[in-house]
Amino acid sequence: MNEYTILSFHAALIVYGVLLMTPLGEGVGSFLVNKWPSTATKRGRTLAGLMFVCTGGFTVSAHTLWMHNKLSEGGSVCSGSSVLNCDGLIGNVDYNTVPYINQPWGLLGMVAFCVLLWIVITVAKEPLAFATPTFLKAGLGATIAGLPVIGLLVSYEIKEGLICPFCTTAHIANIIAMVAFFVLLKMYESDEWAPELKKTRK
Amino acid sequence: MMNNLYRSEEASARGDAALIVISLFFAGLLVVAFTSNPIASGTQPGERAPIFTSKAYNGNGWETFVFDDLLTPEWSPNSTGDAPWIAVEFMDTDCGHCKNAAEKVGNWAEQYSSSVWDGPEVIFIAVSVEFVGDSSRSEIEEFRDSNEHTFVYVDDLGLDVVGKWDVGATPTYFLVQPDGLVAWNSGQTVNSIGWDADKEEVFPLIDYTQDNYIELNEAIEQLTKKYGGDSQ
Repeated sequence: MNEYTILSFHAALIVYGVLLMTPLGEGVGSFLVNKWPSTATKRGRTLAGLMFVCTGGFTVSAHTLWMHNKLSEGGSVCSGSSVLNCDGLIGNVDYNTVPYINQPWGLLGMVAFCVLLWIVITVAKEPLAFATPTFLKAGLGATIAGLPVIGLLVSYEIKEGLICPFCTTAHIANIIAMVAFFVLLKMYESDEWAPELKKTRK
Repeated sequence: MMNNLYRSEEASARGDAALIVISLFFAGLLVVAFTSNPIASGTQPGERAPIFTSKAYNGNGWETFVFDDLLTPEWSPNSTGDAPWIAVEFMDTDCGHCKNAAEKVGNWAEQYSSSVWDGPEVIFIAVSVEFVGDSSRSEIEEFRDSNEHTFVYVDDLGLDVVGKWDVGATPTYFLVQPDGLVAWNSGQTVNSIGWDADKEEVFPLIDYTQDNYIELNEAIEQLTKKYGGDSQ
C-alpha cells in the first residue's frame, strides 16, 4: 500500500475530529448519539472531536516511530524526488532523535498524544468535576509546550529543504488540539458547558 | 461525605481513562515492535555506521564526498553481486603511528581491490583529523601523495566526523559491510570481535599473527569472505 494511502487513514481521523467540532458536527456525528448520548451536546461533540484528533496524532506518531525503525534497518519507506520526503528527515541521524534523551521523535509524539487523550477522556467522563478546569488548562499548556518542539522540527525541514508529510500531520494535530482545548476552556467559562445546570439555576 | 464521594468518582474517571490510554499506548508499541527490527546508529559491531558528507582529496583535487554513495542498502549476507565493503581509517598527518602504518595501509588498499583478491572489493577511505598539532589540507595532500595512496582522504580537520564515529585516537580502523553496518572496529576494548551478518551476533575473530591484536587485513580476510555471492 502506498505510504500516502496509509497517511490518509491518519488524516481521516483528524479531519473527522475537526468536523465534529464544527457546526457540521451535529450532522456528521449523529450516528454517535445512540452509543454516546453526550455527543448530542456541543461540549460532547467537541470532546469527541478532540479524542479523534488526539487518536489521529497518536497513530501518525506511531507510524513515524515505525518508519524510524525501518529506516535504521536500511529500508526506504517514504522517499521521492520531490520535496515531500520522510526518509531524508526521519532517517537522518542528526535530527531524528529528541536531544538529550536520544529517543525517536515518534515515541515522544505517542507519549504526548496519549497524555492529551487521557486528559480529554477524563474530562469527557466527568465534565462537572472540580478538576475539569485544571485538566483543560493542562491540556492547553501541554499543546502550547508542543509549539517550540514543532518549531525545532520545522527548522530541520527548512535546513534540509524537505517536508515530512507524516511529521507535519502530527504537528497539525497538536495545533488543532491546542485550539480545541482553548475553545473548551472558553466553553467551560460560559453556560454552554452544562446548559442543563443553567436551566436548573433558573 | 458528599465531597469524598465526588473525589472518588473523579478518581475513577481518571483511572478508567488512564487504563484506556495505557492500553492504546502499549498496543501501538507492540505493533511497531513486532513489525520492525531497529538498528542503533553507532560504531560498535552490528550498529549502523554514521553517515557523513565532507570534502575529500582524490589526488587531483578536493571534491564532495558522500559516505552513503558507497553503500549498497539492499545487500544481505545471501545476496549475490559485487557490492563493495568499506574500510575506514581515521588518521592524523602528525601522528607517528599513522605515518608508520601508511605503507601497509596502502598495500592493503591495493591488495583488496585487485583482481588477485578472491573476496569482494574493499574500498578504502582515510578520514584525516587534527588531534596532534596543526594540520591543513596541504598537509593531507602531501601525506597522501608521498605515500602514493590511491584512495580518497576526507577532510575532518573540524572533528565533525570523528565525533560521530566516537574515535578517540589515531589510527583507528573500521570495516563496514556493504549495507552500512559496522562489521569490525579496531577501537574496541577487545578488538577481536566481528559482526556476523547471518546470525546477527558478534563472534570472535582469529588472531592469525598471535600478537593479541587484530589488524585491519585480518578482519577483512575473515569477515568479507564469510558470505555467499558471485564475487567470492
